[in-house]
Formats: sequence, C-alpha cells, structure tokens
Amino acid sequence: MTTRDLVLAALFAAIIVSLGLLPPITLGFIPVPITAQSLGVMLAGVVLGSKRGTFAVLLVLLLAAIGLPVLSGGRGGLAVFAAPTTGYLIGWVFAAFVTGYIAEHFVDRGQTGLVQGVNFFLAALIGGVVVLYAFGITYLALVTGLGFSKAFLGSLAFIPGDCFKALIAALAGRAVMVGYPLLPQRA
Amino acid sequence: MKTLYVEGDSLLHRLAPRTKLLGLAAAGIALFLFRSIPPLALAAVISVAIYASLGIGLRQSLARLRPIFLTIAVVALFTLLVGSVEEAATVLLRLTSLMLLAAAVTATTGIGEFIDEITLAAWPLERLGLVKAADIGLSIGLVIRFVPEILDRYHAIQDAHRARGLKPRVLTLAVPLIILTLKNADEIAAAIDARGIRAQR
Repeated sequence: MTTRDLVLAALFAAIIVSLGLLPPITLGFIPVPITAQSLGVMLAGVVLGSKRGTFAVLLVLLLAAIGLPVLSGGRGGLAVFAAPTTGYLIGWVFAAFVTGYIAEHFVDRGQTGLVQGVNFFLAALIGGVVVLYAFGITYLALVTGLGFSKAFLGSLAFIPGDCFKALIAALAGRAVMVGYPLLPQRA
Repeated sequence: MKTLYVEGDSLLHRLAPRTKLLGLAAAGIALFLFRSIPPLALAAVISVAIYASLGIGLRQSLARLRPIFLTIAVVALFTLLVGSVEEAATVLLRLTSLMLLAAAVTATTGIGEFIDEITLAAWPLERLGLVKAADIGLSIGLVIRFVPEILDRYHAIQDAHRARGLKPRVLTLAVPLIILTLKNADEIAAAIDARGIRAQR
C-alpha cells in the first residue's frame, strides 16, 4: 500500500466518522430514521475501490474498539461488539469490499453515464445490502437463537432505507468519479 | 474527540491490558456456553458489580450504555414476542453481561495501551508482509486529526447552500465533501513521505 492509498483510506475513515456525528435523516416515506454512517460504508467502496475501502472501514471499527465514540449516536468501545447488531458492523468490512470489487470490475470510464450509474447502484446494493444483511441477520439469528426467518423479519424494516442509501451512493459515486476519479479500473 | 477512557485507580485500571482483553474474550465464550438462567443471572450480577467497582457514576454510566442496552432490550422484547420467556431472558442476561464487561475494559484501558497491544498483535502479520504495524498507529492518528476538519468543511458547504438559497441535500453535500477531502490526500502523503515517517527499514 502506498502512502497515498493509506492517506486516502484514513481520510475516508474520517468521513465515515463525521457522517456518524451528523443527526440522522428522516425521510418522509420510510418510518425508520436513517443514519448517514452506513451510507459512508457504501461510499467507501464506490469511491475508493475494494482494498482502500475495506481498509477505511476497518479503521473506523478499530477506532471504535479502542474506545473512541466514532459510531453513530456516539457509540464506541468494546461494548458495541457485544450488541445483537454486531453482525452488521462485521458485515461493513465485507460490504465495502464487495461494493468496491464490483465497482472496480464493472464500472468503466468508457460507459455512458446511465450504465455507470446502474453499475454503481448494483455494486452498492449487492455489497451494502445483500452482503451486509447476510452477516447482520446470520449473527442476529445465532446470538439470540431467534432462527433465520424471525431474524430476517426483524431486520425487514431497515431494508428500504438501505436500498435508498445504495441509490444515493451510486449517484455520489458517479459524481465523484466524474469530478475526481480515484477508482482503480480493472475491467 | 473525547475517548471513553475514565481516569481511576481500580483493580481493573491496574491490570495489564492484555490480561483484560484475554479475560473479556474468555468471558464472552463462557457466556455463550451457559444455556440456563441461574448461571447467566449470576454472571449478570458479577458483571454489574465489576462495572460498579469502577466508580463511573450512575448518570455517566447510563449515558454510555443506553444506546447499546436499548438494542439488546429491543431484541429481547422481539424474542419474547416470537419465542419463549426463557429465550428472551437468556438473550437479555447474556448480552447485558457481555456489554458491561466490554464497557468496563474500555473505560479502564487508555488509547495508547490499546495501540501498543494492536501493534504487538500485528507483528506476525508484519512478518508475513501483509501490513506494517507502524502504519496502523499512523492511520489512527490521521483519522483523529481530520474529523474536526471534515465537520468544519461540512458546515461550510451547508452555509454555501444557504447563501445561494438552496436546500442542503444529501447528494449535493456528500459529493463536494468527498472530493474536497480526498483532494488533500496527495499533499498529506507527500508530507508524510518527505518526513520519512514510513521509511523502509
């Protein structure tokens, strides 16, 4: 990893932390308030790609683990890893990786804006929703003994918000790529 | 950014960080091995006693633990609705104990001590050439250094919206914030390299 990669990942980790310090946004049509922090995880993937994006997310979790209140709502410390929702935190790492991997391989500068946007959206949706919930729901099911179907039912309310975040991440990812391209292209 | 470390001189403060972390890991495993209520209830009582021995104070403790305890309570309630009372009590006691013990380790271990432990734990990875342990400390420092600056920039972008009579939206806030922040990367990287902070040994 070059010094530039290291700095980019650290700066993005700082962006994710900052997003957690902002008040949660309530959207008119979704009952659950959404925090911008998990949007930051998808953004890390679409903007930085798999390697640097994963490193940025790992840094945020490391900061939380050593006792800094960096997660949304001022949460931090080892106790956040003792919650029933810890699976989502673990899933962040893989979400950023998968989002970044898909973005690197399927988004190309030669594509039209619409195709780029759709590919970014699919990357954020597969990484930031499918992969994330796979980890979150599995952990919830195992730790609480609820079983998969009930754990899935309990997580259902948050899925529309996260799909909406994937859309935001796709639009932002494309805008950043146009303004300041950083994504390593490996198509 | 204020850390969750609390100054003090309790037994846990004086224990070596590694002992505390290994103890926490062992407690985590033990808590998941017990399946009946009585031992878990005992564990919860012991955890409360350990956390209380730190002298953090009730109000401060509530502020620290409330968000995580709320998640646990919601999940326990959900378990009660779809499962049995016993299952719900198991979830509640087990996770609450673990939360208290983890919070106790966090409150009694400083950031420096944690970074020392991480650097040591990263040593085998460094031998394999996967990461450089010194990079971890450097990155943590960078994040802490830049969070206040990013928040300032966020407010500046918000003000720029207002000055033009625009409603701040997620997208029009996030994109300039990301581009402006990441454009600094080259300068910061050059500064780090110029000082030889990541010099190859």
